[in-house]
Amino acid sequence: MERETIVQTGLQLAEKAGADEVETYFLDRDNLTIEVRGGKLETLHRSRERGLGIRVVKAGSFGYAFTSDLGQAAVADTVELAVQGAKYSSLDSGASLPTPASYDRSLAQFDGKIEETPLEAKLDLALAIEQAALNTDTRITKSERAAYEENDYTVLLANSHGLRVSYRANFCGGYVWVVAEANGDVQTGSGLSYSTQLAQIDPVAIGQEAALEAVRLLGARPIKTQKLALVLPPQVAAQFLGILATALTAEAVQKGRSLFADQIDKQMASPVVTIIDDGSLVGGINTAPTDGEGVPSERTILVENGVLRTFLHNSYTAGKEETVSTGNGVRGSFKTTPEVGPTNMFFRPGTASEEELIQSVDQGLYVFDLMGAHTANPISGDFSLGATGLLIEQGKLTRPVRQVILAGNIQDMLNQVQAVASNLRFYLGFGSPALLVEPLTISGD
Amino acid sequence: MLLDRSDLERVLAETLAAGGDFAEVFLERRQISNIGLEAGRVERVHSGLDQGAGIRLLTGDSSIYVYTNDISLPGLMKAAADARTALKQDSGEPQVLTLVREGTEKRGAAVSPISIDQAVELVHAADNEARSAGDKIRQVLVRYRSSDQKVQVANSLGKMVTDYRNRTIMIVHVVAAEGTVVQTGYESLGSCNDNSMFTRNEALEMAAVSARRALMLLGAKPAPAGRMPVVLAGEAGGTMIHEACGHGLEADIVGKEMSVYAGKLGQRVASELVTVIDDPTLPGKYGSYTYDDEGTPAQETVLIRNGILESYMYDLEWARRQGVRSTGNGRRQSFQFHPIPRMSNTYLASGETPPAEIIGQTDHGLLVKRMGGGQVNPTTGDFVFDVAEGYLIEKGRVSYPVRGATLSGNGPRVLLAVDLVGTDLGFGIGTCGKDGQGVPVSDAQPTIRIPELVVGGLL
Repeated sequence: MERETIVQTGLQLAEKAGADEVETYFLDRDNLTIEVRGGKLETLHRSRERGLGIRVVKAGSFGYAFTSDLGQAAVADTVELAVQGAKYSSLDSGASLPTPASYDRSLAQFDGKIEETPLEAKLDLALAIEQAALNTDTRITKSERAAYEENDYTVLLANSHGLRVSYRANFCGGYVWVVAEANGDVQTGSGLSYSTQLAQIDPVAIGQEAALEAVRLLGARPIKTQKLALVLPPQVAAQFLGILATALTAEAVQKGRSLFADQIDKQMASPVVTIIDDGSLVGGINTAPTDGEGVPSERTILVENGVLRTFLHNSYTAGKEETVSTGNGVRGSFKTTPEVGPTNMFFRPGTASEEELIQSVDQGLYVFDLMGAHTANPISGDFSLGATGLLIEQGKLTRPVRQVILAGNIQDMLNQVQAVASNLRFYLGFGSPALLVEPLTISGD
Repeated sequence: MLLDRSDLERVLAETLAAGGDFAEVFLERRQISNIGLEAGRVERVHSGLDQGAGIRLLTGDSSIYVYTNDISLPGLMKAAADARTALKQDSGEPQVLTLVREGTEKRGAAVSPISIDQAVELVHAADNEARSAGDKIRQVLVRYRSSDQKVQVANSLGKMVTDYRNRTIMIVHVVAAEGTVVQTGYESLGSCNDNSMFTRNEALEMAAVSARRALMLLGAKPAPAGRMPVVLAGEAGGTMIHEACGHGLEADIVGKEMSVYAGKLGQRVASELVTVIDDPTLPGKYGSYTYDDEGTPAQETVLIRNGILESYMYDLEWARRQGVRSTGNGRRQSFQFHPIPRMSNTYLASGETPPAEIIGQTDHGLLVKRMGGGQVNPTTGDFVFDVAEGYLIEKGRVSYPVRGATLSGNGPRVLLAVDLVGTDLGFGIGTCGKDGQGVPVSDAQPTIRIPELVVGGLL
């Protein structure tokens, strides 16, 4: 069946099966990944994924089912499963689907160059990333892999209130992991960059970043347990947004699992901290005309100069509080319902350079990399993460450090941000400039 | 969904029509059910059907992988042509292949999934039980997921295997609060082709354990910071062995010389008290399977025997590169991913010291009763893992509970340093992430003592 027919068939079958409201979401996604190692192609991975998700409201309950078998019989079975699912779900007065609103089609970012560029040129780009890393320093002995990756996706979304959304978008990126060796010590470093435009992917910059990180860590050893000021460069600071994003959703608040629940209009972070989520950000990887349930994308200031302004909403959480969705009904694929989540979320940059932040520190740690970030607890806000980096002494980066643990609470850390640099960088959906944070406990020897 | 032998042979021949050393087709049809309960309500009952096929072509050290949702013969022939075109070789003659059926459709098929009605009852029972632990319990989340997967693998070596895996997992997550302190506790249960453990009693037990853990942490003191002896209880699960040792023994990481264990076969890499085994044939465990995702029969592999490195974990590709046989560790998250060497059920075998004696012989240190998630850099061997339940040990006795602890160490150094190994053996389950693919695993260890680890706490 054609895409449009599949979407329409889903709507009609569900209404026939007795659903009060129906939403059909069709996703067609192509991915290409080219991995190289040692100057040769290692893996070429090409995929096409298509599927349909059906959400229904019946007698005040939601039901959901999906299928990647798009034959008529499978679509009919999926409709049945969705309607049955609604019977098992608890009654929910807030269960309803959004009504249509006008949206900006130009937010579907599509770079024709990504599609037109031949496979060989993309292979060359991956090879160039690896070569740039190897050329940076003789102590870079090998790469674990270097890669070029692209995604191209088409969304068709419709619901029984007359909502119709369709668009196509794409993005691409490159990354590399390298190994540096000297005097019997081995260290690793990584570099990565994603963009909605192929021309923005700079292989030399990606390779050099990975190489420098690995080389600068050579000879790293633990330091003694102490409190140290931290300089978190963009790639590390952005990881903390992952923990924050969960706690800043209205869903977490409504279910009593956000540590920021009672803090609207209160100072919950240092005045230098502003956190924004922007689904309409030009060039953002997650920028799209609408969210996963057809609500137009928008810019939301979550934390403004340290004051908590709002939480992220999808149409369901907004309905429960009689407010409006912030366009954060995020959908990972056709296999899941629109959950509340961030689009492009970032710390607003300040004016100082990263170097100025480092120069202002007497005793500190410049953190290259965190380990175990997925173990941070988004409910309590507690984190305790392995770290590597460089010691900062009298404003200068000095010796490399490994196998130390950085522990604290995300709420305390937000209050301890002393300065925000100007070098905002995005890592897929999360962006940050470098941050200077007051002393935290570093566990070592 | 099964394709017959002649169709599979045609797809494989098409894949190899322009050359290449090895071709494989992997078909999958998976029915899943997800139930989510939160705030006392069953919020979601999601079901779905995912099907597709992955076609792999190996030539030299290069690998091409193409997948599609279209598993009709024309859809597969097109994917095969895409794989061949990506290779860009123009020699070769269409190959003549004869497939030999290895598996049977009966394997694992006897297990039928738990009905949605029963599963909904289990999640409600767990919720009620956790809430009965008192008014400090602020929130209870229960997640249940069942996946009924049928796979068919055929390759140009002539192999043709069908396998069934019914996997079920349930997680209870409890949030407790007192004043401004919020803490969480969780417990999980998972199995493959054996749903007998998913009883009402087990659900109640999980809920009680999660609630107890969350309440205990409310009264816990911040963990101390710095280096100290650590006793990992048998019931703590095997995250440490998974991170400190398992990943570094996967043949792709070893083959790329990205592992601290590369080139060390036959050498001492651990204390002689340490034997480490990967075994997907253990009945019913979450990481078990009959055939791996390349059709190789599952087998027990002794990785480290009495401290000596005996084997790595191989898939077909890395076994071929190294001139050895696959150990049946070729796994993939789904048809959307190419197989890579992965762990299954990995454990450190039991020793001879009673667990109570291990604590008794420790003057001062940390007792870890439950581990959370972890991560390793296999190249340096440095790892971290989270402590979900921990206590201080003072003068050989278990003292007060601590919270917020993370442990950091270096895999090879820790394995060499293990000085006491207990008689017990406790399993944990999880989803192991590698190269963006998650696969179900379990891991286990007895109570062990590590003379020194970095404990990350607060000053």
